[in-house]
Amino acid sequence: MSVFMDLNIISSNDKNRLKSIIETAAHLGYSTVAINYVVEPQQKKQEIPKPQSVSDIFDKFPIVQGKSSPIKVLNRLTIIASDKFTNVLFIYFDLVAVYPKTEKLFHAACMTFDVDIICIAVAEKQPFHFKRAPVNGAIDRGVFFETCYAAAIRDTTMRRYTIANAISLMEVCKGKNIIMSSGAERPLELRGPYDIANLGLVFSLSEGDAKAAVSTNCRAVLLHGETRATASGVVYTMKKPKTPQKQEEESPVSKKAKTELS
Amino acid sequence: MEEPSKFEQYVYKNASVYHYMKISLVLENGNKYITDAQFKQLIICGLKDLYGEVGASFPFDLLKFDQNKLTGILRVYNSGLVKLWSALTLLGTYQNEACAFRVMQVSPFLLALSGNSRELQFGDQLTL
Repeated sequence: MSVFMDLNIISSNDKNRLKSIIETAAHLGYSTVAINYVVEPQQKKQEIPKPQSVSDIFDKFPIVQGKSSPIKVLNRLTIIASDKFTNVLFIYFDLVAVYPKTEKLFHAACMTFDVDIICIAVAEKQPFHFKRAPVNGAIDRGVFFETCYAAAIRDTTMRRYTIANAISLMEVCKGKNIIMSSGAERPLELRGPYDIANLGLVFSLSEGDAKAAVSTNCRAVLLHGETRATASGVVYTMKKPKTPQKQEEESPVSKKAKTELS
Repeated sequence: MEEPSKFEQYVYKNASVYHYMKISLVLENGNKYITDAQFKQLIICGLKDLYGEVGASFPFDLLKFDQNKLTGILRVYNSGLVKLWSALTLLGTYQNEACAFRVMQVSPFLLALSGNSRELQFGDQLTL
């Protein structure tokens, strides 16, 4: 059974609304969701808001329909980059996304920025065209492109922009490294995972790619986010529980390993 | 020596001409009074918004409709499944009110829609 994830649920201060969205997501079959905090830094040194702890929302997480484990909730940060972007450490967030507004920033985000997701415009016409070079560079690095579908449900004009931007992206990247997520602000804007896989077919993805956009690729994004805190994904630090220190026995000198050649 | 038992296997590639979808309409403010004709009209409007006149004229049938729970079973030709499904997904409002179509089951066989492990409710006699 594949694991479906919805990596974009817009956060709000209304706890009940968040609760109902996550409950609906669990009912629809998503095993993981990510609460998205959108930040638009106006000045250079704007504070990044600290995400509220996930256990504040629920005492007991709702069980995913079809499985027996509860839904997993993560925190994600999206930065709307319209100007120079300073690389700040994001230790409180599991995922980091960037929403580039100019072509230069898009190129920089694909090649150099330390992010997991690059968001594609849904509410407006794409101000720049996607070039193959930065997109392929991003695919090699393991960065994913994200399309949100909630705007398509809200408004007809935005539906055209969403579909147009998504199709032009798919043409350039050939269906690789795509994830589709909701961007939902209300529980009625969520749709089931197979519905989204079908929408992928409308965006001219192949069937396998469309289903991967909701399941496999999302899991890859999560792993990419985890390895950001490690050294090349090989070594990571973990707080070790304190054990009483043992005293090492001194072995007699004659039995110590002879390392020097006489 | 016994002869090994023979068997034949039939594999159907396109078994059925139709696809059946079991869907349910969820409204924001609880259930409204919607007749089956209005339900079908709503779906045709959704198809028209997304795919225009050509998409809206693609034939599909509403086989069953439960007015209390607002659930229904649709039948559509295989070629029109993706269009109908995407139109249902992107439909957002009904008479200026937020709504959502939840697709519960999709199958090329109508018999598969009769049982659903998601809505299975065990009776009281679960244990022997």
